[in-house]
Amino acid sequence: MQPLPPSVARRLRDVVGAVHVITQADRLLAYESDGLTAYRVSPRAVVLPASTEEVAAVVRVLHGEGIPVVPRGAGTGLSGGALPIEDGVVVGTARMNRILSIDPVDRLARVQPGVVNARLTDATRPFGLYYAPDPSSQSTCTLGGNVAENSGGPHCLKYGVTGRYVTGLTVVLPGGEVVRLGGAARSAAAGLDLVGLFVGSEGCFGIATEIEVRLLPVPAGVRTLLGIFETMEAAGHAVTAIIGSGLLPAAVEIVDRATIEAVEASVFAAGYPTDAGAALVIEFDGTEAGLDEDAARAEACCREAGAREVRRATSEEERVGLWKGRKKAFGAMGRIAPDLLVQDATVPRTRLPEVLARIGAIGDEYGLKIANVFHAGDGNLHPNILFDRHDAAELERVERASREIMKLCVSVGGTITGEHGVGVDKRAYMDLVHNEVELDMLRRVRAVFDPDGLLNPGKVLPPERDPSAELPSGRPAEVGA
Amino acid sequence: MTAGAGLADILPADALEAAEEGAVRLGHLGSPESVVRPASVDEVVRVMHWANREKVGVLPLRSGRHTGPVTRSGPDGGRWIALCTARLAGIEIYEAADLTFTAGAGTPMRDLDATLRANGQWAPFDPPYVLDRSLGGLVATASCGPLAAGYGELRNHVLGMTVVTGDGRVLRLGGRVVKNVAGFDLIKPMTGSRGSLAVMTSICLRAFPVPQHDLVLMLAAPSAQELAKAAVAVVTAPVMPVATVLVDRLEAAGGAAALLVRLNGATDAVHADRRTIEQHVGRSFEALDPSASDAVLEASRDHAGWAAVRLLASASPSRLTDLLNAIRMAGPASFTVDPYPSIARIAFEMAHPDTLSALTRAVESIGGAVRVEHALDVGLRQEGSQPTPDETRLVERLRTAFDPEEVLWPARS
Repeated sequence: MQPLPPSVARRLRDVVGAVHVITQADRLLAYESDGLTAYRVSPRAVVLPASTEEVAAVVRVLHGEGIPVVPRGAGTGLSGGALPIEDGVVVGTARMNRILSIDPVDRLARVQPGVVNARLTDATRPFGLYYAPDPSSQSTCTLGGNVAENSGGPHCLKYGVTGRYVTGLTVVLPGGEVVRLGGAARSAAAGLDLVGLFVGSEGCFGIATEIEVRLLPVPAGVRTLLGIFETMEAAGHAVTAIIGSGLLPAAVEIVDRATIEAVEASVFAAGYPTDAGAALVIEFDGTEAGLDEDAARAEACCREAGAREVRRATSEEERVGLWKGRKKAFGAMGRIAPDLLVQDATVPRTRLPEVLARIGAIGDEYGLKIANVFHAGDGNLHPNILFDRHDAAELERVERASREIMKLCVSVGGTITGEHGVGVDKRAYMDLVHNEVELDMLRRVRAVFDPDGLLNPGKVLPPERDPSAELPSGRPAEVGA
Repeated sequence: MTAGAGLADILPADALEAAEEGAVRLGHLGSPESVVRPASVDEVVRVMHWANREKVGVLPLRSGRHTGPVTRSGPDGGRWIALCTARLAGIEIYEAADLTFTAGAGTPMRDLDATLRANGQWAPFDPPYVLDRSLGGLVATASCGPLAAGYGELRNHVLGMTVVTGDGRVLRLGGRVVKNVAGFDLIKPMTGSRGSLAVMTSICLRAFPVPQHDLVLMLAAPSAQELAKAAVAVVTAPVMPVATVLVDRLEAAGGAAALLVRLNGATDAVHADRRTIEQHVGRSFEALDPSASDAVLEASRDHAGWAAVRLLASASPSRLTDLLNAIRMAGPASFTVDPYPSIARIAFEMAHPDTLSALTRAVESIGGAVRVEHALDVGLRQEGSQPTPDETRLVERLRTAFDPEEVLWPARS
């Protein structure tokens, strides 16, 4: 790793202050990876601007020197989207953590990108409002990262993903120009949906420095059920029955037996029966008056699909308990294997039973343990492969099994990522869902925003000629949850 | 009108519309050199390659009745043809249990609605005359109505599409799943692009279960201004109606202005929501008889949806009174306003450019924006709010990426 030229470092310090330009090797360690810790690269420096103007000035300095920029929010992403590159500089948004305005009448908030997702809901709750997208990492992930990844979450089944809530953006483009896109009040003027295009661009189009989001009224009530099933297949049929009945739960989440065993053997034990094949967490929210009826109908669907037990929370404490097995699943898996690869794919919901059975068969074929925890209501799978990175042969089997799982999901009409993004991790699978013509169009669109290719290079798009030639070494290994 | 030279060589005879028929049908748009009716993606590709070779503009449309402002001549005043999607019609895949369907761009919304409803489902999108439009036209214009408040805008429910770019490349974007972040979201700029990036040939959309109970509440007053306070109270209530619309006059309200509030859900929940809203507004609403409510909704939906000049105006819900004042000053023939998000649809039988300029200035002064959605008078089409220079620059670059030879020129005008 080449250190920054002293003149560049000096100019960056002039913009943000010396303390906010990190070049010391020990301090750079914290920025070597995001939540996908399999990949580690030390950047040349990390710069932490505090305003749109500072971001623009920093980006202009780096662009003028031809130095690549890697944007970074909280670093909780699971696809390596914020992975530094060797000759690049990380521009972090951690200091841009102010909620700029909350308008309870217009139900809008304006925030800087470093605001933690859950903090926005905390701040808007006194107005009876909240921010709906709730990624599992919402207590630490930031809204800038959510915008970059178009993040989902358990309750996106009913409420939709981040893109539905972002109405306007201020963006610093790779050359340092500041552009303002969209805005709820100006929606009539909208031509092409540039805001929608920017959301999910994984830091390749620009750095969002101000974000306008819609807020929703806090639901008056909530009902949470836990269905216990003998098999994943039965649980999958229950999901299809619930959605097919016309019900729209806020969330429908599944954990399988391997996950239940891991949770129950951990400090996170939630009281799920360890001999069950699957557990289904179902939640309804909204007006109190209709919730009991919805819950009763969902319970009937579960029982018709073969649930041996359906529990219903009668208090907030019980609700937390029913969710515990789902929410602590990733943490619990650390007990049973040193490393964990969290996969992310989406399939049509009705194909879940078949796909889950075939994922199990893939695990058997490659001699790997695969635990499933996922958003069943929208068909968003997270097959988690347990392994030991020090076992080279096992690592290779993980690699092959991962691709098999991705191919399987695509073959039934699904896709390679539902909410984690492509980053560096899924680049090798992009050819499963896009042909060369489509990849070329994605490259052209990227060039609309970043003609010089200096913003987050090496992410999302596979190399033009040989999609597998430039895979980072060491893939895959353990990831956080 | 003569058949475009060479088109007969690349398309079967039934893909070429009789010149006279096209002239009558599309006369309001000008004089296309030909009207082609491709029946497959491959035929669309052939047309686009031909158009690039011959430097002929292409205007994609279905009936052409809802095609927005277009110039009456091709790029640089040159030749142009209309590409009609009527034969790219029919449901390709309907996965009722997955609540998704894929259909040809030319599929009439009326046909889709009938199929979905036969399965207890619907597509909750309600711009004016929605059932008379095609799926492709709906998506190309990203047209929304009051239901966007509760179900989300159309752009959030387009899951996938197949398109042919301006230079004849076939792209399959998105898929059939509700969560998909595999690459940049090109579906978003395609939705609402009015045929300026590519020709849509098929589209996958999310369907929704028909709600158990669909209740329509009405409050009437002599003028829309007098309902503004109630409208703001409705959209700031702790429950969210699936739709709220303010109509300047409605037959069901005896010709007076009306505020309609639509509630969907379980029966008990809908009645509880009604009580909450009435309490919040401080007034009682009339609950429309279910047998009559469809007709009332249709009347309000289409109220300002057909006129020589139609505008869309947006502003913050908190500026609703100011928006209504600006509309009143312009003296339109009719209008509707969806208070959340605050979008007005304004219709004029005749309008002077000065009137539209004044309205635009008034709306912009409260932070809003105006767009000309339709104007037979070419001179009015440049009115309304202009995008920022930054947005214009990015949009132009994006269009070049999809359509380097500017064959799909009309929406650029």
